[in-house]
Amino acid sequence: MRAMIIDDSRAMRSILRRIVTDLDFETSEAEHGQAALDQMYAGVVPDVCLVDWNMPVMDGYTFITEVRANPEWRDVTLMMVTTESEQRQIVRALAAGAHEYVIKPFTPDAIVDKLSLLGLVPA
Amino acid sequence: MSAVVPEVEVPASEDVLAVTEDVWMALLGDDAPLLPRTVAPGAPFDVAAWSAATTISGGWQGVVTVELDEALARRLTMRMLALPADEQASDSDVADAVGELVNMVGGNVKSLMPGPSVLSLPAVAAGRAAFSSDSALACRVDLVWQDAPVRVSVHVPQEGPR
Amino acid sequence: MTTSTAFASVSALVRRETSMVYDEGKEYLVEARLNPLAAARGLGLEEYVARLAFDADERRKVVDALTINETSWFRDHTPYQAFTDAMLPALLERRQITRRLRIWSAACSSGQEAYSIAMLLDQHLPPGWSYEIVATDISTAMLERVRAGRYSQVEVNRGLPATSLVRYFTRVGRDWEITERLRERVTVKHLNLAAPYVGLGSFDVIWLRNVLIYFEAATKQDILRRMLPMLADDGYLLLGSSETTLDMPADLAAAWQREQIGRVPTYRRASAARSLTPSLTSTGA
Ligand SMILES: C[S@@+](CC[C@H](N)C(=O)[O-])C[C@H]1O[C@@H](n2cnc3c(N)ncnc32)[C@H](O)[C@@H]1O
Repeated sequence: MRAMIIDDSRAMRSILRRIVTDLDFETSEAEHGQAALDQMYAGVVPDVCLVDWNMPVMDGYTFITEVRANPEWRDVTLMMVTTESEQRQIVRALAAGAHEYVIKPFTPDAIVDKLSLLGLVPA
Repeated sequence: MSAVVPEVEVPASEDVLAVTEDVWMALLGDDAPLLPRTVAPGAPFDVAAWSAATTISGGWQGVVTVELDEALARRLTMRMLALPADEQASDSDVADAVGELVNMVGGNVKSLMPGPSVLSLPAVAAGRAAFSSDSALACRVDLVWQDAPVRVSVHVPQEGPR
Repeated sequence: MTTSTAFASVSALVRRETSMVYDEGKEYLVEARLNPLAAARGLGLEEYVARLAFDADERRKVVDALTINETSWFRDHTPYQAFTDAMLPALLERRQITRRLRIWSAACSSGQEAYSIAMLLDQHLPPGWSYEIVATDISTAMLERVRAGRYSQVEVNRGLPATSLVRYFTRVGRDWEITERLRERVTVKHLNLAAPYVGLGSFDVIWLRNVLIYFEAATKQDILRRMLPMLADDGYLLLGSSETTLDMPADLAAAWQREQIGRVPTYRRASAARSLTPSLTSTGA
């Protein structure tokens, strides 16, 4: 499995990278939505994106909308990992095509649990 | 706590404390507790520090600021980046980690206030936080973790929301 | 009272009230959990423990403090999958007349098991069907949590699908509260699994998960024996992933027939026709 970690904080990317590497994922990283899209257009298409909401250049919500607009990326699973925690934001993200949503702060178990809910790691 | 225009809704310090504890627990685990620290009202943060702020605007206006002791900021950064003990976190690493810290606290504070609002990207500085003169302190939480002080404060516009 | 007699007396108390076995070596845990209670009464740990003999209220707090309440939404996933994919269709077939299901979450902790089941039933029961989930535990503090149906952000972040979070919960301050529609389906009752089961009726599915592990063999056997008549002839019993009936005496192991659904072992009453007479003298574990 390949995970792309999209967050403007290096420290947060590092935390997420360690969690998914422990699950044997290969990882790539991007510091905002546009950088992630560029990588995907260049052929680095992951199985799952862990994507922050508030980022410079292109935020995670826009990123999700862009990914969902491209039928070639139908199989990419999208998981928001963000401090945005209003019910309305979660509803918006899901409606735009996010499959799962983890609220920051999180413990590693929360990420593992959600990835296994999505069938990406054995329960 | 300084005077606040009465009509402005402010977060409860109990909530700000709980949010901070959740963030702390997630980043640093529970090997050492975050303890309350008694500080005179109005006293500026008293140690060599890093500070980070994020602005909430929309249905509610406010600024959430985290200030922390230099050594603590570096430990937090080492922990988040999982750097080996013999390595040093660079200033840019610290700025990044402290920025993410205020992002998490700020986002959760935002969710407790009337919305919809947006959260700005964090602004981080080495040194104490500077607060604008047209804002008033709404809530302040002083804590200490393994002898290192941390402060979370929330400011609201002096005039109330426009 | 010395620390070691205090520990012995607390572990005897917990054993008496819950059947949970607190072995030596768990002193640190007992101390960590009871120190705050003692401090709240302005007492040292030993003094506090000495007081327990005369104070039922404090005893209840000790039981609350020492039970292990770890739980999560859809814990282990697969049992819930087996429930929706196999048990539920079979029961829908067989309960055509009554169109009602009764489920028992025995040792429900904070209610995440009971409400996980409620969410699935809400999604999968055809119109016209009704259900009741009976949630029992020995900890009164946990039962209060089930009644309140309020969970912290940390709790809803783990194992609960985001679609279910927004569908069944409303944010209240820092917490998330489960919808009234599900809460009213859950009946909360105080029950010691080691004591008789009275006034509960019988169930189509019994979730007895992650609690037998805290008991010694005799108590486990007694509970599993008394679970037999609590289950409908064609019902299902689910245990925790590290729990089994295999290490039980032959008659008991035979009374519970293991039926594998995918990777999930379920237990069914072996030939309900010659069902065992419920033992009347089985409460003393
Ligand atoms: C680890 S939790 C399991 C919760 C849930 N069944 C699950 O699998 O996630 C164990 C629960 O058993 C309860 N318990 C312990 N002894 C009990 C007893 N004698 N009777 C009823 N409940 C008991 C505890 O209070 C605790 O809430």
